[in-house]
Amino acid sequence: MNIAVCVKQVIDTEAEKKLDPASWRLDRNVTCILNPYDEYAVEEALRIKEAHGGEVTAVCMGPKKAEDAVRKALAMGADKGVIVTDDALAGSDAQATAYVLAEALKGVEWDLVIFGVRSTDGETGCVPAAVAERLGVPLLSTLAKVEVQGSNISVHRETEQGYVAYECPTPAVISVIKGINEPRYPSMKGIMGAKKKPIDAKDASALSLDTSQVGQSGSKTRVLSARTPEPRKAGEKIEDDGTGAQKIVEFLASQKLV
Amino acid sequence: MSNQSGILVVAEPKDGKLANVTLESITQARALAGGPVSVVVAAAETAPYVAAAGRYGADRVYVVESPEAAVFRPGPFIDVVAAAVAAAEPALILCAGSPDGRDIAAGCAARLGAGLLVDITGLEAKDDGFVTTHPCFGGTVIVDKDATSTPVVATVRPNVFAREEAPKEPEVVNLSVDFAPAGLLAKVLDVVCENLGIVSLEEASVIVAGGRGVGKAENFKLIEELASELGAAVGASRAIVDEGWVPHQIQVGQTGKTVSPQLYIACGISGAIQHAAGMRTAKNIVAINRDPEAAIFNFADYGVVGDLLTIVPALTEEIRKRKAAS
Repeated sequence: MNIAVCVKQVIDTEAEKKLDPASWRLDRNVTCILNPYDEYAVEEALRIKEAHGGEVTAVCMGPKKAEDAVRKALAMGADKGVIVTDDALAGSDAQATAYVLAEALKGVEWDLVIFGVRSTDGETGCVPAAVAERLGVPLLSTLAKVEVQGSNISVHRETEQGYVAYECPTPAVISVIKGINEPRYPSMKGIMGAKKKPIDAKDASALSLDTSQVGQSGSKTRVLSARTPEPRKAGEKIEDDGTGAQKIVEFLASQKLV
Repeated sequence: MSNQSGILVVAEPKDGKLANVTLESITQARALAGGPVSVVVAAAETAPYVAAAGRYGADRVYVVESPEAAVFRPGPFIDVVAAAVAAAEPALILCAGSPDGRDIAAGCAARLGAGLLVDITGLEAKDDGFVTTHPCFGGTVIVDKDATSTPVVATVRPNVFAREEAPKEPEVVNLSVDFAPAGLLAKVLDVVCENLGIVSLEEASVIVAGGRGVGKAENFKLIEELASELGAAVGASRAIVDEGWVPHQIQVGQTGKTVSPQLYIACGISGAIQHAAGMRTAKNIVAINRDPEAAIFNFADYGVVGDLLTIVPALTEEIRKRKAAS
């Protein structure tokens, strides 16, 4: 089974996030990493490949430096990469991103597309569903278990009370959650080997993208303003002298919380 | 500019009730007026959901009653909402900020070619559309956004907007929907409920969460007992999820759930940036931690420096006494 894994480069959680007040775009000149959720997606793809054969392609949209995220996927064991990079794509919202990824995926051989459940920066969790809709294939999101049987997948979708088990033929789009597997660390051999694996760099014209649908101007949502919320202030802090529990109840009562 | 008006709320059915976020969305939609408030609901049996929508003041309810809608699948549910959008011609479509709601919203926006505003915590009408507020980067930046076309699709963060009953007799419209074949390819094999009666983390108004300070897996029951006494949901920090003490479904934080309860009681949680990202927007934070320097005390409204293994059971007992006395 051939698998495409969509990966995104995100800003490291520890790094300060700044929006440029002119464009409201995120300043990406800080430490960037492979979106942590995408590690589960890559791992799941590799496990399916190891059990059933096929090829794993990491597909990414982002600036030039996002190639590092694709290399990480290759170092983990993906076979090849596709990166869509174009100044015209900067500032794309979730729907515009889904359009670009769907077009990029049309040029890749896959039976299954795997996403991480969301990115840790945009946090929309909406790109997988929009890509599935654009590709006209079924979507199953937030999966905690995926098994391949022939050309079908059998999956568990997490719910608050347990899970729903589904079966679905491929081609399909899925997203996977943390806990579905334990992502491997790239080995030294993997990291060295990744340097030789092919990454196909494409721009907007190579994908024949309609540039009126991408980038900041092609996005149907726009940022009007951004601000830093009032930082939460430290409230009262007491040492427990045996009456800590009572004092918490008194605090809760004063706030009408009990 | 366009004759689209009013708001369509996409109902999230939940065990015979409408999810709180649906009721919150209907309440907020009514406050904005500017046209009718419609609700669309798809389920195997819709009567209880129609009644709930009316109780919260929906003007009209679009109903699709079908065995295909008994259990959530993105395809058929997107078909239902697309049909309701065609019938209602709303300016704004509000979906639940939940896994199901996100799938519906994103699929619908893609199908309609509409703008998609995600995880909103504020919603205001302006001359020719809506302005939404949305926290990003773990609540460290607050962004105001709008859409450049109508209709626009948004997902609503649970537990942010108020919900108020405003009973009326809604007009009920039965929709007939031809489900697209691709969406029906996913077959439901089984619905497994392992944690019946569990309080939903995202919808909970009170959350009791435990971290490494609980010491060992067996002690986590102290957190569960306090939660049970408070009618609260149970949360955890990544540290103890990674230890395997608790399932990842209850992880709060960057790689877990984002919550906005009225009250968050953090027990033995240091308050690292990754955890804060998931709970910073709680209205009240109470922290119990042995380490007086723990970061959580920098943003907790009330902090107790001490051993949670004695304080939490005492707190459970205090709450129990208080309940018995009232």
